[in-house]
Amino acid sequence: PAGGGGALCFRHCPLLLPQDRHGTAYEGFVTAQGRDFHIRILLPADLQLKNARIECSWHLKKILHEYQHILKQRLHSCPDLVSFMVELKTVLEIALKNTQDLHIPRPPEYYSCLVRDLEILGWNKVAYVDTGLTTVKLKAEDSCGRQHLITLKLNAKYPTEPPDCLVDFPIPFAVSWMPQNSLRDIYNQFLAALESLKEFWDALDEIDEKTWVLEPEKPTRSATTRRIAIGNNVSVNVEVDPHHPNMLPECYFLGADHGKAANSTCFSSGLTSLIQSLQLLEIDFPSRAVLEKSDFAKDCGICYAYRLDGSAPDQVCDDPRCGQPFHQACLYEWLQGLPTSRQSFNVIFGECPYCNKPLTLKSSMKKL
Amino acid sequence: MQRTSRLSRELSLLATEPPPGITCWQNGQLNDLRAQILGGADTPYDKGIFNLEIIVPERYPFEPPKIRFLTPIYHPNIDSAGRICLDILKLPPKGAWRPSLNISTLLTSIQLLMAEPNPDDPLMADISSEYKYNKQLFLLNAREWTAKYAGQPRVPKPLEEKINQSETSASSESIKQKRKGGNISRKEKKSCPDS
Repeated sequence: PAGGGGALCFRHCPLLLPQDRHGTAYEGFVTAQGRDFHIRILLPADLQLKNARIECSWHLKKILHEYQHILKQRLHSCPDLVSFMVELKTVLEIALKNTQDLHIPRPPEYYSCLVRDLEILGWNKVAYVDTGLTTVKLKAEDSCGRQHLITLKLNAKYPTEPPDCLVDFPIPFAVSWMPQNSLRDIYNQFLAALESLKEFWDALDEIDEKTWVLEPEKPTRSATTRRIAIGNNVSVNVEVDPHHPNMLPECYFLGADHGKAANSTCFSSGLTSLIQSLQLLEIDFPSRAVLEKSDFAKDCGICYAYRLDGSAPDQVCDDPRCGQPFHQACLYEWLQGLPTSRQSFNVIFGECPYCNKPLTLKSSMKKL
Repeated sequence: MQRTSRLSRELSLLATEPPPGITCWQNGQLNDLRAQILGGADTPYDKGIFNLEIIVPERYPFEPPKIRFLTPIYHPNIDSAGRICLDILKLPPKGAWRPSLNISTLLTSIQLLMAEPNPDDPLMADISSEYKYNKQLFLLNAREWTAKYAGQPRVPKPLEEKINQSETSASSESIKQKRKGGNISRKEKKSCPDS
């Protein structure tokens, strides 16, 4: 069986060779991501994998440092050396992907080309460059003064291959790229795309400015929907088509039926002009109401009020990370109904309804 | 006693800062609320608007509110009477309701349940096994129900008279649907007791 295992092992790790006849020592290289790492595996006489010892180069040790516990667990669970080597290679692949600083530096032409490209483009357009010079963020302002960013992730074959471009657009952004192109060509395509989306963003900016948008709370430039409040508990979900921002958007009404019926006529009659002239409709859109936030932190976590029959919350969860206040009466009523609470004389032992930490409550004379 | 202060605070919060895709309002009386949940984008309930009824008991928040779907929905954990199988809608020891939850968090949880059914704790055995073993068919059926019951007619192009007409016909249609749902619920309440 040892011989058979050796042959299998050879197929998966051709550079790892047995060092003795009993199969207790292996030495050689394990290959991952096109790199070879020196490794030696020493097995005890009974060939039990869980007692194996692994020696390797400092390089490999550093890469696998955070994965030690996984490897130990694999040593325990793998039936034989072959399956362990397969696991080791998988772990190593993941580890290599996650360790950036150990990546091989890119060819010198890459850096010279990138720096030249950035100089042609102008450093004032660069918002961010990472330390490895692999990710670049460029900023641009469209003709309406909106700020935009494009993130470029360059691979080692730049400029033969185009960088990956990440933008905050409602539509896909594909760059056309030739090897002789530079970052400036991408930047110009980016500017052109910004202009093509100008009307779309104008429309949405107008909505954001003149209506009470319930969601999204902080819309990104790629967000095409808005939920607009149009009355008490009545709202409309509008989805704007990025290609035809001035066309009647897709709408869904949410909320009470009566309010909806009253509102939707006047709303839909003005909807085509929603984008063109919101002024006409302003009457129908309530402005943002801000809930008067009485200090939530001080209110009782059960009745949501500060005063209950004249008393203020006087119980606080003992856990300082929670610290939720309660009225004695509220907490008593909740805890005494629970099968998990325990009462001894006038003390109830229970759990905080917010954080589940144990909590004791002295019941006052009132309820006993 | 605690119910009044709880509800007034919750209702003002729901009106000014509603959770994404959720609307909730008072339906006349204090203890009778209505809610609407917008079907999630990556679910078969996409673009559907689902009506729910929320009855707030006298002992709220020491007891959970009673929530059920008024709009028929094809879902492993929601029965034909609209009742929802969700632990936080029941009192301990069976359930996990606690006063730190509220109507907003419950509706958000229901929205999550719509996106992620729990076929291992089914209320509708057939739909549940379909969800587990024939996902394609489940998605097809759920989408069909969404279009049939939870669809909202698109707002027509602005020609005043046309709008008025379609508006009235749409509202009478939804009344019919609700009546139908009500009948189902009364009929089935006897036959399937809550687990």
